[in-house]
Amino acid sequence: MPGDHRRIRGPEESQPPQLYAADEEEAPAARDPTRLRPVYARAGLLSQAKGSAYLEAGGTKVLCAVSGPRQAEGGERGGGPAGAGGEAPAALRGRLLCDFRRAPFAGRRRRAPPGGGEERELALALQEALEPAVRLGRYPRAQLEVSALLLEDGGSALAAALTAAALALADAGVEMYDLVVGCGLSRAPGPAPTWLLDPTRLEEERAAAGLTVALMPVLNQVAGLLGSGEGGPTESWAEAVRLGLEGCQRLYPVLQQCLVRAARRRDAAAPL
Amino acid sequence: MSVLEQVALYLETASPGPGLCRRREKDAETWEYCSILNTRLFATRTVEPLEYYRRFLKENCRPDGRELGEFRTTTVNIGSISTADGSALVKLGNTTVICGIKAEFAAPPTDAPDKGYVVPNVDLPPLCSSRFRSGPPGEEAQVASQFIADVIENSQIIQKEDLCISPGKLAWVLYCDLICLDYDGNILDACTFALLAALKNVQLPEVTISEETALAEVNLKKKSFLNIRTHPVATSFAVFDDTLLIVDPTGEEEHLATGTLTVVMDEEGKLCCLHKPGGSGLTGAKLQDCMSRAVTRHKEVKKLMDEVVKSMKPK
Repeated sequence: MPGDHRRIRGPEESQPPQLYAADEEEAPAARDPTRLRPVYARAGLLSQAKGSAYLEAGGTKVLCAVSGPRQAEGGERGGGPAGAGGEAPAALRGRLLCDFRRAPFAGRRRRAPPGGGEERELALALQEALEPAVRLGRYPRAQLEVSALLLEDGGSALAAALTAAALALADAGVEMYDLVVGCGLSRAPGPAPTWLLDPTRLEEERAAAGLTVALMPVLNQVAGLLGSGEGGPTESWAEAVRLGLEGCQRLYPVLQQCLVRAARRRDAAAPL
Repeated sequence: MSVLEQVALYLETASPGPGLCRRREKDAETWEYCSILNTRLFATRTVEPLEYYRRFLKENCRPDGRELGEFRTTTVNIGSISTADGSALVKLGNTTVICGIKAEFAAPPTDAPDKGYVVPNVDLPPLCSSRFRSGPPGEEAQVASQFIADVIENSQIIQKEDLCISPGKLAWVLYCDLICLDYDGNILDACTFALLAALKNVQLPEVTISEETALAEVNLKKKSFLNIRTHPVATSFAVFDDTLLIVDPTGEEEHLATGTLTVVMDEEGKLCCLHKPGGSGLTGAKLQDCMSRAVTRHKEVKKLMDEVVKSMKPK
């Protein structure tokens, strides 16, 4: 990058070899639209973070860490009536700061480190989806920092990051109402489109529209929804949301298991 | 009660502190003593960490049970990221670094038309430790990136001429991105090892320049490994109280140290790079000790690398 003197300089510009490759990539294989890829989740693996989680779904690998609660930066905010259950008044509630990063080698094309708009949008989506689940009133004037790092993008990256972030918060012992489970969907282009649950990278690249749903499974409330793409009839989108919520419910037992295992491991390691 | 009786009492009742690792049988005494010290000095650890460490160093051991010259358990995992052309994950105790390499085309530099590029970048994101903030690379990340660039340059891991496809027109550029996932000291060793392992894993597709169109034609089906000429291995030391040298410092030890030193060794005991950013001075004799320890470490790492490369499934 021309002006960036903090990193080692490389060539001014470079192209990926795939642009010059002769053969085309095969189209994604037909599959059951409601299949979920097998998920591997593990919590409590980083030593320096308060809570951490690693999630692998097909080719998507996400690592998330939580630190805090720490003194919030920013000015004093006024008081007000106290919330229920001994929580701080609304203006003094804690804050959740989310950061989403993509590793430069995560996608097909290398992305130089300063991520840009997309990473900020996804970080905001993460924050909006996690806030309903965390009892921020119990952390007055404090901030919790959640950082998600996408190591490899194999499709539905935001959904995986949401799930990993919720697991990391639970692993850190932050008070929450419920876990947040994310699920991605995409609709292939064509005359009779069907929504595909948990798309792979190939399917996402060729998609006409994409959607990510975040659900709090026990409370059965939608925590976040982010969709974009070509328009379509409302029933089609409603169908997609319903499919996504089903997918989230199916994923929940795996995450419960993961947290129980992590708690057992922590107990075994520190008998004192 | 005499000291011996006190020790006997503690031997029965003391439970090992968190993080103590099993040691060899003949050093059982030292380990027991370490565990006793750990339990008794638990309060000292937070109030006076330097004093706490000095007690252990006097007995020639460290709070996690290691000897002064012993490395933490090293594990390496190659080729886990399929979107990268080459990748490796290295764990040195708790310190975890992942290296991903992407290869792209670029025009060779005008002053060296027959050479390619190798561009390293070390990233220390906020998730690896609470001391780092998000944003542009801080001082430590910049120092680490420059160190890796020096190691690549001085040790000639890859001949840059090998990366040239067509002189003056097309060359490979290898972007080596190292991300630290967990920062518990000794980042430079982990980064060097991760870079080496990832480079051994890189497979570049075959490229031919077609005569008619003068454009590159890439054959993604035929791939070949890079020609790795040397295997530089880094060994880091921390200096305590201007006199004592310990190998592979953890995050806490680095914080308490009065100086650090990193030695990068090649095969045949050739020195590639020496990194000593200020700190307390060292006599020539101590420096020689460091270098001999680095030579031994090189053998250990080379053995581990060969095992991993052999166990990789051939494509």
